[in-house]
Amino acid sequence: MRIIRDKRLYKGTNLSQMSEETGKQLSKEEKDARFEAELLPVLDPLYNFAYRLTLDEDDANDLVQETYLKAYRFFDYFEQGTNAKAWLFRILKNSFINEFRKKSKQPAKVDYSEVEGYYNSDDVEGEGGVTTTTDMRSESVQDLIGDEVASALNALPVDFRTVIILCDLEGFTYEEMAKILDIPIGTVRSRLHRARNSLKEKLEKYAKTMGYNS
Amino acid sequence: MESKFTEVYQQQASEDSHETDCEKVANLLDIVIDGEATSDQSEFFTKHIEDCVTCFESHQKQKLLKGLISGHLKRVIVPERLALSIKAKIQETV
Ligand SMILES: [Zn+2]
Repeated sequence: MRIIRDKRLYKGTNLSQMSEETGKQLSKEEKDARFEAELLPVLDPLYNFAYRLTLDEDDANDLVQETYLKAYRFFDYFEQGTNAKAWLFRILKNSFINEFRKKSKQPAKVDYSEVEGYYNSDDVEGEGGVTTTTDMRSESVQDLIGDEVASALNALPVDFRTVIILCDLEGFTYEEMAKILDIPIGTVRSRLHRARNSLKEKLEKYAKTMGYNS
Repeated sequence: MESKFTEVYQQQASEDSHETDCEKVANLLDIVIDGEATSDQSEFFTKHIEDCVTCFESHQKQKLLKGLISGHLKRVIVPERLALSIKAKIQETV
């Protein structure tokens, strides 16, 4: 009930004006309403990002919750009307690196020399938990392509997976990606390039069998 | 944003002034398909691939790769309870 009243209260109000006039004197109800209106619409892409990082639904769930709670604590520092999506993605990515990866058994940081050996080795598939489709009849061709793309992507090291998701799935600009990942734009470009080469390698054989020749 | 890219690009270009047009185009592939190229870069790129089959094909491949991710990677469905539990936790937070 509280939510409905809040929404009515905040409807038709210019958000930036409201924050100018009232500063940080907002009531908790106003703050909550604003938080939900500005940040909850990002839930879907954020959950998808979390899932592609952790490759586990429960872990994605925890990571997203943690991200929203952190965002709530720092909401006073969030500038109204600025890029809420990039802000939340940045918080999530930091949570993943700082806390989540510590809990899981994954290495804390991926070294690129390590990475190259890693994605070139043949036993990558086993670790990624790649599922092979057994019943061809029950799936459409679209699903098959989707599965193949997902397997190839999931087999990439997390840093490579991340730039591809941010760029190709979520459509962030290089500048936004640089901010989300705390790296220079030049590094975004080179990492993306290497990530695509690696993905291309994995998909090329498949693409040929599907008749994608250009 | 564009100015930063121009900076990066010009820096690269001056360092590798001996590179061929095909090499230049290869270096522009990603920024072209990502919509991050300047108009000068796009123009150079477009002109070149009109005449160069190899680079034309690389461009097609790179676009295809991006399209596979954006068009075929299935999105996972957010659990229904997640939004509710976030709202509940936030309301509890003082
Ligand atoms: Zn060429």
